[in-house]
Amino acid sequence: MLSSNPKIWNTLNRFFSKIYLLYLILFFSACTTTYKNLPKTEYPEKDIRVIPFSLPQSEKTIIYKADITFYKNNFGGLLVIKKIEDKNYRIVLTTQFGLKIFDFELNHSKLNVVFCIDQLNKKMIIKTFEEDFNLLLLQQNFDYLFVINNTELKQKIWQLNSGKINTFYIQNNESASIDIISKRKRNSEKISVGLRSYKNDLPGEIKLEHHNIKLKINLKLLQ
Amino acid sequence: MIKNIFLVVILQIALLHTNAQDKGFKPVDDITGLKNKLNELTANSQTIQSDFVQEKHLSFLSENIISKGKFAFKNPNLLRWEYAEPINYIIVFNNKNILISDDGKISSFDTQSNKMFSEINNMMVGTIQGSLFNDSERFSVKYYESDKQYLLDLEPKMAEMKSMLKTIKIFIDKTDNSVASIKMIESSDDYTKIDFINRKLNQPIIDDNFRLK
Repeated sequence: MLSSNPKIWNTLNRFFSKIYLLYLILFFSACTTTYKNLPKTEYPEKDIRVIPFSLPQSEKTIIYKADITFYKNNFGGLLVIKKIEDKNYRIVLTTQFGLKIFDFELNHSKLNVVFCIDQLNKKMIIKTFEEDFNLLLLQQNFDYLFVINNTELKQKIWQLNSGKINTFYIQNNESASIDIISKRKRNSEKISVGLRSYKNDLPGEIKLEHHNIKLKINLKLLQ
Repeated sequence: MIKNIFLVVILQIALLHTNAQDKGFKPVDDITGLKNKLNELTANSQTIQSDFVQEKHLSFLSENIISKGKFAFKNPNLLRWEYAEPINYIIVFNNKNILISDDGKISSFDTQSNKMFSEINNMMVGTIQGSLFNDSERFSVKYYESDKQYLLDLEPKMAEMKSMLKTIKIFIDKTDNSVASIKMIESSDDYTKIDFINRKLNQPIIDDNFRLK
């Protein structure tokens, strides 16, 4: 019944995603203030594989249904992620009809454009995708890697620090997987990611949102 | 000497060209005859219904990505293209309107206001009917044939389309003169191939199929 009325459906959808976002923000701002007083342990090896997040490690072809909203534009299709070798990924977005929207190579945290439709092939947009995929595939460069145990909230938090930039990968103990990713510059949140419904170690749903630009990426796992 | 070099270059180009041509296909001698036949077919196909299997080839993957679904076309401008796998996605071209159902979420567009959609619409209808070869403004066309099929090789002329596609190949079965498959090849040689199976020509379709609720 709901789906037969797109307006109501859209409004409800927007309402719930706002609530979810609000929850993320409140939840996170509540956490960060607590972090400062919690004991931190540094991993001297700087090996990201200590973080229980297998999306970057998977050797198989991963396909997500993607829905991207950039200001007033909405586009999407199938997002294909393939690990070619260590620190080297191919990331392709095609429309349902198969036509490519972009084809990127993420190599040692640098995004190279193999193909991109003209409308998106702008320096600022490419930089943004670089940041997003580095975050999702845990490829960003960092100087220090810490682990924080938040016993009160039953969370384990991995913190990647590089100067003013802090990225947190947060695991709720009950779920045994990364549920939230947050990238912060000084104390303000730049990007937040919610990850849910894990299937075979891969997040079934990913909601990525930028806070300084109007960009949202929603992904649903297909394969 | 220079003449000889020219000859060698021309021969090489000719060789390259034959290599690029699909196996078992040779150029059609009577192009006018074929065009007439195809025009007649376009005029006579009031409705087309078919299942399809879409294969996306990406050079860095060992396996192609497969999508499946069905489509229905009613002359002159009603088209329903429905994916059942890997996701539910329906796109309907109803004269000037485009309706999309994405996982049950319905949105509509106006082809007049959206140039890209209107291009897609023309292309889809044109490929399915096989009539795209008449669009000499947008494509330069080469005609080939094998024992069983005709092959129309369409090279986009417009810069915008050229940047996305190197060529569109339309394979037409000689038995019933209907489009059996299309292959859209990108400049990187990655391609999308769509095979049409269980094709039904001129069977009645009710207009409700071209609405989304």
